[in-house]
Amino acid sequence: MERKTLEDKLTGIFRKIFNNEGLTIIDDLTANDVANWDSLSHMILIGEIEKSFGITFKLKELNKMKNVGNMMDIILSKL
Amino acid sequence: MFTEIVLLPLVNVIEKSGERNAFCINERFYTYREFAVHISKIRNSLQLIPFKNKNIGLVANDDIETYAAIFAIWMEGLAYVPLHPNTPLDRSLDVIEQAEIKLVINSISDKIFPEVQTIFSSELLFKDLNLTIKTFSEDNLAYILFTSGSTGQPKGVPIARGNIAAFLQSFWETGVKITANDRCLQGYELTFDLSIQSFLVPLVKGACTYTIPHNQIKYSYLYGLLDDHQLTVLPMPPSLIRFLRPYFNEINYPCVRYNLLGAEASQVELISEWCKCVPNAEIYNFYGPTEATIYCSYSAFSKSGDTKNLNGLMNIGKAMKGNSSIIIDDQMNILGENMKGELCISGRQLTTGYLNNPEKNLLAFFQLEYNGSKQRFYRTGDLCCIDSDGDIMYGGRLDYQVKVQGYRIELGEIEFHAREYLKGRNAIAVSFENNIQNTEIALFIEGELANTKELTDYLKLKIPSYMIPAKIVVQNTFPLNSNGKIDRNILKKSLPI
Repeated sequence: MERKTLEDKLTGIFRKIFNNEGLTIIDDLTANDVANWDSLSHMILIGEIEKSFGITFKLKELNKMKNVGNMMDIILSKL
Repeated sequence: MFTEIVLLPLVNVIEKSGERNAFCINERFYTYREFAVHISKIRNSLQLIPFKNKNIGLVANDDIETYAAIFAIWMEGLAYVPLHPNTPLDRSLDVIEQAEIKLVINSISDKIFPEVQTIFSSELLFKDLNLTIKTFSEDNLAYILFTSGSTGQPKGVPIARGNIAAFLQSFWETGVKITANDRCLQGYELTFDLSIQSFLVPLVKGACTYTIPHNQIKYSYLYGLLDDHQLTVLPMPPSLIRFLRPYFNEINYPCVRYNLLGAEASQVELISEWCKCVPNAEIYNFYGPTEATIYCSYSAFSKSGDTKNLNGLMNIGKAMKGNSSIIIDDQMNILGENMKGELCISGRQLTTGYLNNPEKNLLAFFQLEYNGSKQRFYRTGDLCCIDSDGDIMYGGRLDYQVKVQGYRIELGEIEFHAREYLKGRNAIAVSFENNIQNTEIALFIEGELANTKELTDYLKLKIPSYMIPAKIVVQNTFPLNSNGKIDRNILKKSLPI
């Protein structure tokens, strides 16, 4: 999958989970930048991503997701 | 006792092992010597200020200066009142007013409370070490924490130096032995008293405290700390373990020596699975309300599968030394073995009572003849019984208080603010379990409400984020029970899972 296609799909998921239609995602985006991005919404976000792309993350991979850019790298490596 | 049990041991560690690490915050280590430098400069600046009030507001940032400020405040015989930077301003201002705070310490140069004199601790210059111990009364307050109040206003729980000393003495009697080589987790917010156990216990033993920074995904950060630093002591709420449950097969940390569960009820089933991830850990279930200083009873988890439970919730064991636990009925009679009633606590860890709240104090505290003397008891609001071995079995709450991610929440406080917004229309908050069995809040609104986001935005101005309902349900009328009261159980059952 192209990174751009992934970014578009992820944007949809982020907007849905954080209930924010104006949310745009960039590589540097972190939990600090998004209202309500906490442990609970993170768990829901991860579940939604896993379902949408048919992948599962390891805890070690979650720990490496310091920002959305890392997250996309990890997703791409699993597709 | 506070001096001997808390301050002197820390000063000894600083003098003898100043080069050892005291903290790891945001992947940066700080030695005890550096910690002492920060304590001294804050203490020096406090000594220059003529005090109008002994309660000092402390902006609860996650940095070395904020931890240092706590000890600088204690060394001057003062009390800290944590003000969380993410708490809505209205609520913090209410706390400032109730505790009559005239001075705030903030490690970040950002004047959050323009009306109050503020020390910006990061701007202070270090001159020399200032660790001389002065003696103060054990009755001097050490901190005031504010907990959720059903009237919409948070309640202040003042804890004295003597209370903390009594807690730490009882804690060491449990058999938990910490050494200077331990690496201990501090994952609680400073507005929550379990944070005090989490940093105090390592500091008085010369061990290193590892914090979880604000705005981190706690369960994934904790995994990083375990993996990178091989933590040995883990105080944590069971809700954090529930987040890790899908990944238990990846977690194996024989380095963990102690796992201290607290802040909410522990399910035996969850802990039975989790204990394989920390195979060498002694696991303890600690219990205690803020009013009785951090924890006041505990039990050990048995890996052989015979941990006693009530409805799957792990027992909370026996009162820690210096505390007494009794069960009473509605008429304040002490109940016998296996009879369910309200758990009440007395002892040296008990607060003198809520701040400026005589009505609430009359309801929550009472005198009773027990073991041959008149003792003062606190009514916990927890439904419990004591079995024939003397172990306390925990059976839930008697009122509408719930715990969300370890935070204690009065559902009435959420309802109060929702009704304010709805101009008196009814709103009922209930707790429910999400798909990983963590507790969340749902808010039911009677009548019509076109835009629930506006209500959520309003609530965000009034209450902390952990109190914001995860679900809002609008419905025409509320179901009533046979007494004509709104039936919260039916509302709860109507929630889609």
